[in-house]
Amino acid sequence: MLGRRILKDRVAHGTMATLTVFVILMVLVMAVGLCLKSAPVLEGQSLWTLLGSSEWKPMKGQFGFLPFIMGTLWVTFLAVLIALPISLLTAIFLTEYARPVVRRFVFPALDILAALPSVIYGVWGMLVIVPWISERLAPHFVEFSSGYTVLAAGIVLGVMVIPLLVSLFIEVFSSVPMELREASIALGATRWQTTRKVVLRKTLPGVLAATVLAISRAMGETIAVLMVCGCVIGIPTSVLDSAYPIPALIANNYGEMLSMPLYESALMFAALILFAVVLIFNLISRIVLYRIERRDA
Amino acid sequence: MAIEVQHLNVHIGDNHILKDVNLTLPERQITCIIGPSGCGKSTLLRTLNRLIDSTEGVKLDGKVLVDGEDIIGSGPEITELRRKIGLVSQRPCPLPMSIFDNVAYGCRINKMFKRRKSLIYAVQKNLMAVGLWQEVRGRVRTPAARLSIGQQQRLCLARSLAVAPQYILADEATSALDPISSKTVEDLFVSLKNEYTIIMVTHTLRQALRIADNVVFMYLGEIIEQGPADQVFNHPQQELTQKYLSGAFS
Amino acid sequence: MKALMWVGMAVVFGFLISVIWTVFSRGAKAMSWEMVSQLPGGGFYIGKEGGFLNAIVGSLYIVGASTAIGLLISVPVVFYLNVYLKKDSKLAYVARLACDVLFGMPSIVYGAFGFTVMVFFGLRTSLLGGIIVITLLIIPIFIRSMDEATRNFPRDILDASFALGATKWETLKVVLRQIAPGIATATLLSVGRAIGDAASVMFTAGYTDSIPTSLSQPAATLPLAVFFQLSSPIPEVQDRAYAAALVLTIIVLILSIGGRFITHRFSKNKL
Repeated sequence: MLGRRILKDRVAHGTMATLTVFVILMVLVMAVGLCLKSAPVLEGQSLWTLLGSSEWKPMKGQFGFLPFIMGTLWVTFLAVLIALPISLLTAIFLTEYARPVVRRFVFPALDILAALPSVIYGVWGMLVIVPWISERLAPHFVEFSSGYTVLAAGIVLGVMVIPLLVSLFIEVFSSVPMELREASIALGATRWQTTRKVVLRKTLPGVLAATVLAISRAMGETIAVLMVCGCVIGIPTSVLDSAYPIPALIANNYGEMLSMPLYESALMFAALILFAVVLIFNLISRIVLYRIERRDA
Repeated sequence: MAIEVQHLNVHIGDNHILKDVNLTLPERQITCIIGPSGCGKSTLLRTLNRLIDSTEGVKLDGKVLVDGEDIIGSGPEITELRRKIGLVSQRPCPLPMSIFDNVAYGCRINKMFKRRKSLIYAVQKNLMAVGLWQEVRGRVRTPAARLSIGQQQRLCLARSLAVAPQYILADEATSALDPISSKTVEDLFVSLKNEYTIIMVTHTLRQALRIADNVVFMYLGEIIEQGPADQVFNHPQQELTQKYLSGAFS
Repeated sequence: MKALMWVGMAVVFGFLISVIWTVFSRGAKAMSWEMVSQLPGGGFYIGKEGGFLNAIVGSLYIVGASTAIGLLISVPVVFYLNVYLKKDSKLAYVARLACDVLFGMPSIVYGAFGFTVMVFFGLRTSLLGGIIVITLLIIPIFIRSMDEATRNFPRDILDASFALGATKWETLKVVLRQIAPGIATATLLSVGRAIGDAASVMFTAGYTDSIPTSLSQPAATLPLAVFFQLSSPIPEVQDRAYAAALVLTIIVLILSIGGRFITHRFSKNKL
């Protein structure tokens, strides 16, 4: 009787441990799988040519990723530039200033923003942002713009990372003990001075980590960006140029690549770049955020 | 049969928490473990039913004989041993289920009753034993979390009694309760000592004075003095015990 | 400064309202009963008749199956991390880190990875492929959000159960009851993510006009129905995309709002 119960417990233990290890190994398996798949294209060209050249001629077997990397960087940078101030202000307001009633209204709104699928943002971008850029904004600066630009992708992406940033910032700010704020207020500092000199200074690593996390999220976003970025191969020179970020490249060519092994390999290499960058960014920022959490506990 | 502790040492990480503890806990009596906070009382209690296992970096050596069986070296059979040793913790902690299911939980797990009727009877009997039956009889299917904290603590006791233990460990079982519930629970322990061997950790000297048959005084992980209550309280042999009892430190 | 913060908040709300208003106003024009009850007529790029029932059913299949499998895998992992492993366990730290990293992985990487796995096993784009990759995608979400609900689980309850002679495995029942609201919210979160993700199913589930009748056939999904049909030059086909976007948004809104209610409903027995 007891023996059977203990056996059950043992079996459960084993199964659970296996599943847990499986989850951990998934990161490794992904890395290995993508590496193996991108090996052929790395044989043909060196890593530096792949990353540094802008010759993209799949038919001739030339794969220069520079335009796509630059496209990703432009779009990501712009998105974070837009999202960061808004998120920071919102998070500070919610943790330091707002009464609980306000939070009850804002949190569900942020939840919904976070939950909306990226294809919906894409639709919104196509219907609202793109026409706005091409009809209202761009004519002030250039003769013609289709509206499918770095700027459109940046705005859409920016809106998409806001809920992530706000929730991370709120977590980081809440790790500052109340006593610290009270001590500062008791010394005659205003709320804003306290926020700036105590809360922000104390949480700087956390704020940076959260930003890095948002950057990595923005880099990998696919469908929404694909729908508004224009997808013209070339290094963008202004926010009103089209861009062709890496995720869009992968998604757009999935059908054609099947016929050419080297092409497929090149796209897998693109996925590998994304994987590697996101992995490193995530590892660093998560470890920093864990530290903050633990100090708090 | 009783519990015997021989040369028990407990390390947690680099800290030597219990130092060469030797102890006999006599049957069907209340033994109170007293001492200032942080002296290892709770650790000792948690070692007796090996709940200490869930602490990170813990190392045990020595012997703890329960009914002549060493539980320090034992593996998964600890599950069965734990059934024999009931636990009432500092804060009452009902399981997230109804009052009935709380008491029935241990019985069901140990498959103690074949028939549903006997299970219902057993639940009723144990709720009566802790004087809770009259108070909850109409609502045993409601969540246990809705009981008052004193009732919850008695429920926890009933739950422990339901699996027919021989020993009851109580870790400051009354410290979270109001004075009246505290008195009720205390009286319960006294009435239970005819059937169970009770080991209590307490930080209120007066409580120990009221109900203890035996007293163990611990300080910094060591047992300074142990013996019958009368002897320890009225004629302490050690200077440290005298100081503690007189309130020089706590 | 405070004024600026209000502006920040207003911008956030403005974006939200704009997104939802756009989808609703454009989608409502295109919406009709035939949209949700019929298959597309004659090719999804060019056929003018019909609706996108194929995508609705495809999404339901994929989301339903992967949520079920995801739960089966992640509940044990969460239980293992919080009950079997000790508080400062290295393995638990690594596992949590791995989940956080996987959570941050772009879905296109999942798609590409899933695709290589399928090629390895000789699978074509199919319902099965979609289910596998979506399962992999939502496991980290499941684990993360259930873990959060379980980490604050009162240690005393575990001890109480052990002290009554229960094994760890037998204690699962108690833990499940306590974290039921957590599991419910985690499920809603995962379903929301699973139903809206396009980039990962693009490679793996493919797209088709018909409803799959076996696991090895390709399956359409709602987000891809939006994406592909929007790129068509024919207005009627585009209308289908907008209607699909409306349906998708409504589903996600229901899930998100439902999640807030569930947390209150389920906590009856909770401490």
